[in-house]
Amino acid sequence: MAFIIICSDVLDTRQIESSVSTHANGAVCTFVGQIRNHSRGKDVEYIEYQAHVALAEKELNRLAVEAETRWPVTVAISHRLGRVNVGEASVVVSVGSPHRSEAFAACQYCIDTLKVTVPIWKREVGPDGAIWIEGDESVRAGTD
Amino acid sequence: MKRYNFRPSFPADLRIYMLLAKDAQKACENYLAPTQQLQAGSTSAQTGGSRLIGAHMPTSGGLYRSLTLGAEIGCNVVQLFTCSPRQWNHPELKADDVQAFLHARDDTGIDFTVAHDSYLINLAAPSEEILEKSRRAFLMELKRANTLQIKWLVTHMGAHLDQGEDEALARLAQSLRQILEETDKLGYTVGIALETTAGQGTGLGWRFEQLGRILRDVGDHPRLGVCLDTCHVFVAGYDLRSRERYDASIAHFDSTVGIDKLKVLHLNDAKKGLGSRVDRHEHIGFGEIGMEPFGFIVTDPRLMHVPAIVETPDSDTMHEVNVRRLRHMSEGGGPYAEVTVSLFGHYSELSKGEPVTLKLPCCTTLKDALVELGALNDELKNIGDHCRFAVNDEFCELTAQLVDGCAVAVIPPVSGG
Ligand SMILES: [Zn+2]
Ligand SMILES: [Zn+2]
Repeated sequence: MAFIIICSDVLDTRQIESSVSTHANGAVCTFVGQIRNHSRGKDVEYIEYQAHVALAEKELNRLAVEAETRWPVTVAISHRLGRVNVGEASVVVSVGSPHRSEAFAACQYCIDTLKVTVPIWKREVGPDGAIWIEGDESVRAGTD
Repeated sequence: MKRYNFRPSFPADLRIYMLLAKDAQKACENYLAPTQQLQAGSTSAQTGGSRLIGAHMPTSGGLYRSLTLGAEIGCNVVQLFTCSPRQWNHPELKADDVQAFLHARDDTGIDFTVAHDSYLINLAAPSEEILEKSRRAFLMELKRANTLQIKWLVTHMGAHLDQGEDEALARLAQSLRQILEETDKLGYTVGIALETTAGQGTGLGWRFEQLGRILRDVGDHPRLGVCLDTCHVFVAGYDLRSRERYDASIAHFDSTVGIDKLKVLHLNDAKKGLGSRVDRHEHIGFGEIGMEPFGFIVTDPRLMHVPAIVETPDSDTMHEVNVRRLRHMSEGGGPYAEVTVSLFGHYSELSKGEPVTLKLPCCTTLKDALVELGALNDELKNIGDHCRFAVNDEFCELTAQLVDGCAVAVIPPVSGG
């Protein structure tokens, strides 16, 4: 049973970990993606995340269930939307498993897959203006 | 078609972000809930007993292929060339080919078939030699059609080639009298349907009066009728684009030709305008005629028994769509599908984060919707090359059918995490 949350609130890493940290699990591996202050040689003040929410939920659930089928793991994924400031978490992937190697593998699989399939986009805002990131491309955004 | 003015400004509209499953359990339930099914692709199943709607089908691989392919795309009437339309001399039909055709007819249940004759035939030709050649070729056309138990052979009325319209019409009437008499003696059942034409060059049959005169001159005959082509009559100057003008054009046809003489309908939209006399067929609803008139025709009680055939481009991909479009309207469906399109990534700025509403002909594919979207804004041209698409929250291919009220999402490459 995978746990998927897409929301505009601050992500509570402890709470997400607790959803996969049952007594049968000897390992909990958590990846936290957070906003850094630079990107592509430019300063970043904050990032705005946009999603096709219904589809993103489905895709996140699909990849989490895929991981749970491949490894003996329980997966929880949370993604934040809207404005996320430097230093704050945009995504948390937490994987619980009896042993650590599966937890590491499943966690890496989930975050790598999420980045290429789930319909969520970032718009990086810095002193030089804003750009949309779309796959490997960046597209200059209009001004606010 | 509604046009929207996009403004390249960005109010970060949270409506697109929406909210927000607080409860992970709920997200899982959502995922597991049965997803809304797009309109089923199969159309051939429930066509029995309904209005005859079909297409001019290709015959490569054998004449019978027109029937099997036609059935696959939802036709319950099929038109075909019984031989190459750009050649004078043709070998006789082979018995095997006839058997295969009649078998396919019984298998598919497509009892009503129509043939179209060769483009070279001119039954009004001023040259004695061409006239004779045409009459002989036309007799062969009739023989093949009769052998295949085809109901009507559609033919154009020929051209006067600047040698006098009156004399040409007289020669045509003479050709038809002669041919009907000869084939009556042979006991043929196939009829001749004279097609309304676009009036290109010196072609005859673009005025209803010319058709009426021929029918009068030949004399009432059960095996002589008329085929009305919507593209041709429209570019010849008969408007169909409102209920009043449609009714007026049909009333004019009735008074000059007689609605009881109408045996076949060719339903094609027109690339060129009213009165242009340029014959270029367009997909139903995408041309100068537009959707509504086709709705008038396929629901007109006076025409219910007349088979309707599309002769539009891109037969391998689009005949199915055009046939479905006509059938949808014949069963009382609305002529349009209103579709909302949500744009994501940098495209969302073009519509200020709001969904765009497109009014499209009914039974449109996603691919067609993208063409309309591209017409709204240059940035939206060619988005099919690098974006994915979803309809009602399911990823889908460009061939997906869009139904009234559905929600399309444009998904550029993603960058979450
Ligand atoms: Zn035609
Ligand atoms: Zn034509």
